[in-house]
Amino acid sequence: MAMVRLEKASKHYGDVVALREVDLSVMEGEFVTLLGPSGSGKTTMLNLIAGMLAPTSGSIHIAGKDMTQVPPNKRGLGMVFQNYALMPHMTIFENIAFPLRVRKMANDEIKKKVAAVLELVHLPHVAGRKPRELSGGQQQRISLARCIVYSPSIILMDEPLGALDKKLREQMQLELKRLHTELKITMLYVTHDQEEALTMSDRIVLLNDGQIEQMGPPDELYFKPRSVFAADFLGDSNMWDVRVESTGAQATAMLPSGHKVLAGSGNFAKAGDKVKAMIRPENITVVREGEDAGRFDNHAEGTAIDSIILGGVIKHYVKLKDDVTITAQELTRSGRRALTPGQMVRLAWRSDDTLLLPLSGKIAA
Amino acid sequence: MAAPEQPVGARFARSAMLLSATAWFGYLFLLLPSFVVIPMSFGNAFEMVFPPRSLSTALFHKFFFESNWMSATWMSFRVAVGATALAIVLGVPAAYSLARGNYPGKKYVTMLLLSPILVPIIVIALGLYFHFASLGITGSELALIFGHAVYTTPFVIVTSMAGLRHVDQNLETAATIMGAGPLYTFFRVTLPLLKPAIFAGGLFAFLMSFDEVVIAYFISKAGSTTLPVKMFSSIQWEISPVLAAVSTFLTVISLIVCLIGAFMQKK
Repeated sequence: MAMVRLEKASKHYGDVVALREVDLSVMEGEFVTLLGPSGSGKTTMLNLIAGMLAPTSGSIHIAGKDMTQVPPNKRGLGMVFQNYALMPHMTIFENIAFPLRVRKMANDEIKKKVAAVLELVHLPHVAGRKPRELSGGQQQRISLARCIVYSPSIILMDEPLGALDKKLREQMQLELKRLHTELKITMLYVTHDQEEALTMSDRIVLLNDGQIEQMGPPDELYFKPRSVFAADFLGDSNMWDVRVESTGAQATAMLPSGHKVLAGSGNFAKAGDKVKAMIRPENITVVREGEDAGRFDNHAEGTAIDSIILGGVIKHYVKLKDDVTITAQELTRSGRRALTPGQMVRLAWRSDDTLLLPLSGKIAA
Repeated sequence: MAAPEQPVGARFARSAMLLSATAWFGYLFLLLPSFVVIPMSFGNAFEMVFPPRSLSTALFHKFFFESNWMSATWMSFRVAVGATALAIVLGVPAAYSLARGNYPGKKYVTMLLLSPILVPIIVIALGLYFHFASLGITGSELALIFGHAVYTTPFVIVTSMAGLRHVDQNLETAATIMGAGPLYTFFRVTLPLLKPAIFAGGLFAFLMSFDEVVIAYFISKAGSTTLPVKMFSSIQWEISPVLAAVSTFLTVISLIVCLIGAFMQKK
């Protein structure tokens, strides 16, 4: 069942369109991430669902009921905020008990439920403390517990890990994922952090300028972006201006220099069209002396500009003849050295990993 | 030979000292007259001189037990408590509406509600006098409470609005999404967090009403009036030495109220 369904939901502020006729369904037990740059409409979308904003047009359904006109306190949702939003004047116990007290639950049951949920987030010993006595990560777990305790139909999360440092953020990502799988909670997660989206989501909804750019499982968005925007926003990419020579099961395109590039199908285009060719840096191999590059069907030669070691990976920047710069990325391995600037380099990649994308707009699904 | 070198900061330090000495002198010049009445209030019961020629608590005895000063004091107290309560009941919801609401003309409503701060107090007093006269309640304690509420409510509004700015709106949003209605959210989330600001505003309102002369002078009737008005009239007709004791009493009350305020703020 769809726990949340938006139908042609729009939000206008005067002439400014924050959200334009968006359709979205979040299924029961699904972890959906709204991803996009700031101003793309993801927070607007969350606020429409929460009921803090009313849509200009369109409708919002929650757990099968039309809730477009229902006030936020009657929607039966949960929300986790970036700044935790724990009540500073209440103990942790009272904070978690708050939604239960609103629902006029009996005291004994409240005690039982709060204890159980504190156990679930591994913080059974903090019930008597005040929020300010906890660390940021602990506060966020309490704020999650406060949602879980009353089993809302969906938990909305507005950049919940934004205020935490990197290590803690990664820990919390796993924790969130664990709770999601254990409890089968439906979650709608807002972030501008693509890595976070790729790590946790069952499905990513990529927003751009108030519209859904692309929607699908993380690997689909990463490996099969349908627009330059999507390719650019998720992960690193090499992006070249090319002219299409032929399309079909395999397409051929030409760089301005005349260098031929074999790519996966580019059926949206026809011969002569100007398009973009996109290759992920990790799919480009630096061919070393004596290595056989026969399994690749694209080859290029250029001069090394620089190499940067980023811990686990090493990035090579190579300039081709016509001023096109390629970024290639390899796993760091002992013996795999940085390139000397000026050195000639042979690069190779597979046509399957080369995507043709339209200059503007996106390929129809 | 060169002159012995001065440390770099010495000249600066000397002028800084001069500056603070001037400031202290100016401050004391303005402040001391208020404190002169304290030793005077411990003088004898027949004259008001500084320094007092003999020490006694006769003036306090007179103030507390022998004259009708105490009835005026109690009236001031009752009026101040009433006006403060009314100012809080009216001011806090008004502040909430102004701080959180979003409606056309909010700016003008704000100006209207805060206007008693801007209008000269003598004008307010005159206006209230005519208004209460037409209602036939001039001279009553209730009229005084109403009058002082007009005067003190804007200050409660201002402190509450400042307090509301420090109450994270996300907390109210969170409570709402968890299912709490507007009233539940206000009484369980907003109000507890706003308590220090309301308390500060309330203390302020109490002191303002307790001290107020002009409105009280216009509205109250000759026989029963507040302490400041009684002081004012008594200094016009007969300079009673009891005034020194009353002044000391007022100073101490203000000091205690301010200390309570400061203590609550720290907590």
